[in-house]
Amino acid sequence: MLKTLIEAFALISTWEVIIAMFAASVYGLVIGSLPGLSATMATALLVPVTFYLSPIAAIATIVAASSMAIFSGDIPGALLRIPGTPASAAYADEAYAMTRKGQAELALGAGVWFSAVGGIAGVLSLMILAPPLAEIALSFSTFEYFWLALLGLMCATLVARSSPVKAIAGMFLGLLVSCIGIENPGGVPRFTFGLTDLFGGIEPIPALVGVFAVAQVMRAMLTPEPPPLPRRKFGSIMAGQWMLTKKYHWQMTRGNIVGIIIGVLPGAGADMAAWVSYAMSKRFSKEPEKFGTGHVEGLVEAGASNNASIASGWVPSLLFGIPGDTIAAIAIGVLYMKGLNPGPTLFTEKASSMYAIYLMFIIANILMIPLGIAMIRVAAYILLAPRSGIMPIIMLCCAVGSFAIGNNMFGVVTVAAFGVIGYVMEANGYPVAAMVLGIVMGTMVEQAFVTSLIKSDGSILPFFERPVAAILAAMAIGALLWPVMVWVWRKVKPVRTGVAATSR
Amino acid sequence: MSKITRRTFAASTAAVAASAAFGLTPALAQAYPARPVTVIVPWGAGGGTDATARIVAALLEKDLGQPFNVVNRTGGSGVVGHTAIATAQPDGYTIGMLTVEISMMHWQGLTELAPRSYTPLALMNEDPPGIQVSSSSPYKTVKELAEAIKAAPPGKFKASGTGQGGIWHLALVGWMQAMGLPANQVAWVPSNGAAPAMQDLAAGGLDLTTCSVPEARAIIEAGKARSLAIMAPARNPIFKDVPTLKEAMGIEYATGAWRGIGAPKNLPPELATKLTAALKKVYDSAEFKDFMSNRGFGTVWGDAGQFGSFMDKGDAQMGEAMKAAGLSKA
Amino acid sequence: MRLPDSVTGSFLVVLGTAAAYGGWLLPPVPGQPVGPNVFPLVIGIGLALCGLAIVFGIGHTFEEEEVLIPLDGQTAAAPPPQGKLYGLRALLPPALLLFYVVAADRLGFIITAAIMVYVTSTALGAKWKLALPLAALAPFAIHLIFGKLLRVPLPAGLLPTPW
Repeated sequence: MLKTLIEAFALISTWEVIIAMFAASVYGLVIGSLPGLSATMATALLVPVTFYLSPIAAIATIVAASSMAIFSGDIPGALLRIPGTPASAAYADEAYAMTRKGQAELALGAGVWFSAVGGIAGVLSLMILAPPLAEIALSFSTFEYFWLALLGLMCATLVARSSPVKAIAGMFLGLLVSCIGIENPGGVPRFTFGLTDLFGGIEPIPALVGVFAVAQVMRAMLTPEPPPLPRRKFGSIMAGQWMLTKKYHWQMTRGNIVGIIIGVLPGAGADMAAWVSYAMSKRFSKEPEKFGTGHVEGLVEAGASNNASIASGWVPSLLFGIPGDTIAAIAIGVLYMKGLNPGPTLFTEKASSMYAIYLMFIIANILMIPLGIAMIRVAAYILLAPRSGIMPIIMLCCAVGSFAIGNNMFGVVTVAAFGVIGYVMEANGYPVAAMVLGIVMGTMVEQAFVTSLIKSDGSILPFFERPVAAILAAMAIGALLWPVMVWVWRKVKPVRTGVAATSR
Repeated sequence: MSKITRRTFAASTAAVAASAAFGLTPALAQAYPARPVTVIVPWGAGGGTDATARIVAALLEKDLGQPFNVVNRTGGSGVVGHTAIATAQPDGYTIGMLTVEISMMHWQGLTELAPRSYTPLALMNEDPPGIQVSSSSPYKTVKELAEAIKAAPPGKFKASGTGQGGIWHLALVGWMQAMGLPANQVAWVPSNGAAPAMQDLAAGGLDLTTCSVPEARAIIEAGKARSLAIMAPARNPIFKDVPTLKEAMGIEYATGAWRGIGAPKNLPPELATKLTAALKKVYDSAEFKDFMSNRGFGTVWGDAGQFGSFMDKGDAQMGEAMKAAGLSKA
Repeated sequence: MRLPDSVTGSFLVVLGTAAAYGGWLLPPVPGQPVGPNVFPLVIGIGLALCGLAIVFGIGHTFEEEEVLIPLDGQTAAAPPPQGKLYGLRALLPPALLLFYVVAADRLGFIITAAIMVYVTSTALGAKWKLALPLAALAPFAIHLIFGKLLRVPLPAGLLPTPW
């Protein structure tokens, strides 16, 4: 054990690894903070670079860039209400509200601090729990996945601040968008109207950029320049974080645990971890009414959650070659390329390489604190710049970033279309986040449902028979009926509703 | 690797004009490539096709002395990228990675493009499908599995490995037909790629998968599944103890997912010869061989003529299987 | 663009019905008990039901008006100028993106981007002293990051970049 640990240290203390990690960290921070460029894209664009690196250095770049990008997605979310990566979308409103209240440093400090803590918790889970956790995830069949995906969709209504009916409508809109293309279980073109560009369906990233970034620029066109935030020095970023850690230690732990579990499950990554944790935080909070008004509690839990899922996403990847999320999928490709073939043998024959990966995760998360603070300090100047100087650059990033996903102009058209959709939805009280969730999860829901039915020869009993499926089913149906029950309750007791409304 | 700059674009127009005015002389072919070449990949960055294209491009660059820039043109389930290769100028400065889907999509009526829409340059890789079962499955040999499938009512057995109408689905259909069974004897469960199918196999949700052996490798090595046979003319050197269908059952059936390099139609023959020769050097290099075997990808060489007839044969085979499965629109 | 709930709700009913009908027309797939028509059908019906509920104001009680947290010591900003054409300004960003799609291959990235930046900036009230330098510099900076470092093949067009 100690010997392999020393070997692992030797593996990572080469200049190549150190420089690769540092450069990839800065790269990840920059890409993550640019709206429209996700952590997955940052990692994918690194793959060609890894061709020229040694195996450990290649993995170091992926570990560092993905961890940093997930954190730095919080920065534009907090400062401009434009999440840099999908994983920050769940709490971008909350963080932005804190910035409006003059608590930008607390929001961003919580982002960096709880991301680092979450990341380290994720590594610990990778080290200790990898084998048993992967075993559990491996026993998930499509029946369980169906309920899991449905539960993920239900989070749309839990996090929304508006009418649950409108949230569900938004989610259905997203599901409808996910129907487009031939990437459905039947393999037939659906709603493509004969356009080749629609065969592949609507990619979540340009849709996300459209509804969050372009719609934001559209709103800016109609609203007068907001009064500039009081010009002052950015206070200490880490101050108060220890206090928050003590106050919200239970929320932090719960975020870590939820993030780890979601990361381990194949297909569900940091985005879903953040959504679920933010929703949980609101539901179990002692002061749920403060959510959405610039309250740090949800940020703590969701920030701790999405970074924890990054490391734990590697658990099934390393053991079975099953990606825990899209970033891990790319990492698997690099692992194979470098001769570190995933499998249980990796833990015995190449134990020192495994420990080297653990160590790099820990170092990346420690490195995140100083580099993250530096990045926040640089980014804070955005607040001082006039809106007419920032918005044009965001427009350019939208155009180029959406083009870069497939080097295809259709991405830019998608961004423009979703800008209009997002703008109209937002203006009429339909939560756009619910639609994004529908787009991301739609294929998974349909795939799991159709394949389950094929396997059961059309019977729906297995959806409830398998023990894990039954538990998930009960949870999903409960979440589905929740708004209906509340609505009935309010109808039956109109007096109480009045009291509740005024006390708000 | 550098990127396409404005100068190269300007130069490309100049070169096209020049070739139109004077015709391509052998001297020009000798000067080829005079500027960076674009290699279009119809699939996303980070995947197997992308990785193969990048190693080929890097080695071509070393040999021919000009940058070979890989550009991922994704979208439309491969249609967009394949179209971009076919419609580019046939001046040798745009080549691309063709994949097995080009011999499938036109049967489904998704595109007009077929293997004949390109100038074939070289076949670089082919991965045959294996037949995998869960390690808890009662079937120890492919013969036992085939007997059980024959005896069972149609649709009782469930198989997966890719989406509906994907290459591994057609491999299964082809195998069923080779055994004289109807195409729907085994029900196809569409999956989003081989990895989820292998996981579902291990979780007990499926009876067999027909994805390629490298794709099944991690789960097999984890002791969760085993490979009973491969649908190839010869055994895979990495899995020496997995028999071919012919050895195990006496059935002459082989297919596979392949990747090759092609160019737009009407590429001047001098340039095609030069590129094929360079690709042969790439194929023979230790770097390429090491890279491919590390990722578990099979290597197969076919020069321009062989690649062309290989695609024609595969195209006809795919058409037959797709008609049998009721997937063909043609 | 705040529309009455009855308008957006009705739109969802129409969209949902169209989706359900479009899904219903899709052919079944051999070997699949649930074809590609079912999912759009379910979503379409769900969407139409939500639309109906919204038309009839169900769930409206949950809605909270978005409250922008006022800044310390700041008075509320002046109300935006009204007018029929003023609302159309919101369509400028998507229109510029479409302009990029059409023009980038011909004019090249630098020129197209410069036009986009200049128009957006002036539309947001920037003086030429800010808009012009921004339009001159931002395209090069973005090209450096995306084109040079990330190797995105941005169209060259009329004006080559110095790298």
